[in-house]
Amino acid sequence: MSPQSKLTTTTEAIRRFVHDGDTVYLGGFIQGEPYAAVHEIIRQRKKNLTISKVAGTDHIDLMIGAGCIKRLITSYLWNPVPKSAHAFRRAMEKGIPQSLELEEYPLLVMSLAYLAGSMGLPFVATKTMLGTGFVRHYSFLGEKKFKVIESPFDGEKVCLIPGLHHDVGIVQAQRADEWGNTQAWGILGSTKHGINSCKKIIVCAEEIVPSDTIRKDPNRTIIPGFRVNAVVEEPWGCYPSYMQGYYDRDFRFFPDYERQTRNVDSFQRYLEKWVYGVGNRQEYMEKIGRNRMEKLKAGERASTPVNYGDFTAFPELEYFSG
Amino acid sequence: MMSVMPYTPIEMMIIAAAREIRDGETVFMGTYWPIPSVMLAKKTHAPHITIMVEGGLVTDAAPPRIPLIAADVTLSMNAVFCGETLDTMGMFLHGGHVDVTFLSAAMVDKYGNVNTTSVGNYASPRVRMAGSGGASDLACLSKRFVIMLEHDINRFPERVDYITTPGYLDGYESRQEAGLPKDTGPSAVVTTMGVFRFEEYSKEMILAEHYQGLDVDTVKKHVGWELKLAEGVKQTPPPTEEELRVLRSEVDPQGMYLQEERTK
Repeated sequence: MSPQSKLTTTTEAIRRFVHDGDTVYLGGFIQGEPYAAVHEIIRQRKKNLTISKVAGTDHIDLMIGAGCIKRLITSYLWNPVPKSAHAFRRAMEKGIPQSLELEEYPLLVMSLAYLAGSMGLPFVATKTMLGTGFVRHYSFLGEKKFKVIESPFDGEKVCLIPGLHHDVGIVQAQRADEWGNTQAWGILGSTKHGINSCKKIIVCAEEIVPSDTIRKDPNRTIIPGFRVNAVVEEPWGCYPSYMQGYYDRDFRFFPDYERQTRNVDSFQRYLEKWVYGVGNRQEYMEKIGRNRMEKLKAGERASTPVNYGDFTAFPELEYFSG
Repeated sequence: MMSVMPYTPIEMMIIAAAREIRDGETVFMGTYWPIPSVMLAKKTHAPHITIMVEGGLVTDAAPPRIPLIAADVTLSMNAVFCGETLDTMGMFLHGGHVDVTFLSAAMVDKYGNVNTTSVGNYASPRVRMAGSGGASDLACLSKRFVIMLEHDINRFPERVDYITTPGYLDGYESRQEAGLPKDTGPSAVVTTMGVFRFEEYSKEMILAEHYQGLDVDTVKKHVGWELKLAEGVKQTPPPTEEELRVLRSEVDPQGMYLQEERTK
């Protein structure tokens, strides 16, 4: 029995699965940042979202400035030039356009919280965070942010981190089949456990490939299709971040974003030009221009294929039938 | 600060920090200033180091172009391992296999505590900065770590408002009392003026080396507390011809770090 194809568009996937007030996990770590989906969330003017992101960059800044985010949980937020993320600073320092509730964990702790979330564990224990500002200050998680105890095994102090759970998660990966079996390679960050701690999953892929391509290399799969609700073919979906094997990072983008978003008016113009004034990712990339895309395209450097082996027949079957 | 030297304070900082790496070590590389420093060490006195980054990659080969961020895709060329944050920061860092970590900082205090989070009241900050990323975890768990920053008195308050990245907390035994692993902590702060280390018992930051052309008093005036001097405080040996040549022509030939305006 062939299951129902989950292929759709980003517009439709966001409309169907991301609701005002949801807790939304966004995948990626410098590689594979889900820009296409983020722009669509802004275009659909989603509100009061709790965004969970292992490490936030300019696309989270864009959502803050556009007024989509009420709560944010992350390890940092900057424009990786490195420069300030201006909308984030305006929200934190002046409450513009609205104040932002920010809960902070360091990066490894975010990853551990996703691990616990994906496994349904109540908590994980770690030796990091002790003595830092992270255990002195908390925000919307309140006392549920962490707990320091003496380990029942060696009596030493440990920090317990609760699992993080999400209503919906979005990743941009290299390839998927139409049932959502999703493969990624390169620097993977915390995406596997982050996305697997979500109730609903949207996959945006650079390419939709025949299922056979996935099945010939199952080690590369980070999400099996049974966990996935929607699949979108969205080439260049994480531009200006990079996608291993597909395109490089557009290093020009980040200083440009920094310059163009320094005040509320210029930020608004930026949003109009690059998000509200664009229908979808394809239009956006046309606006970026063929020339620039051509320069960023990754050259060829293929791995040596591995042999998974053919295990169809029983070897030495005569032993059993004899 | 006018330089009459045939090298810049930034170059001296990168070179002095690179010298903190011993050949054969496992080095965790943070973003920005650590990148040219670690690359320089790799291409000069420490060719056998293993380098890892937060996103999950391990390499023992210098990439073909200088990474502009610690998760730069160029690192994947000739890497020996590419996985997840839970691999490099979990298995290798938390597992106790990292010898030295390199971090950039915005502000650092008397006990080597770094603030990259906020100035003023945390809940309603006067200045909100980026936050930790992995720096806090790395500082909690690395056997030693090196902090790099451009020297400015405003970046050296006596106590930081928020401890993003723990140094020796309140000094003395406080780091261990907080529960952080034994035999971990900052080993050096390397700036554009000199190299600072930590007094053995009090864990207070002390001046160990000042760069050529600067005297001890000048450095003291650029720190927000009464800076003490290490016994035998000395002038940092200036860059060797080889260090400068490799830094300029092999590590960063495009000037991505050395000509700061290129990336900012």
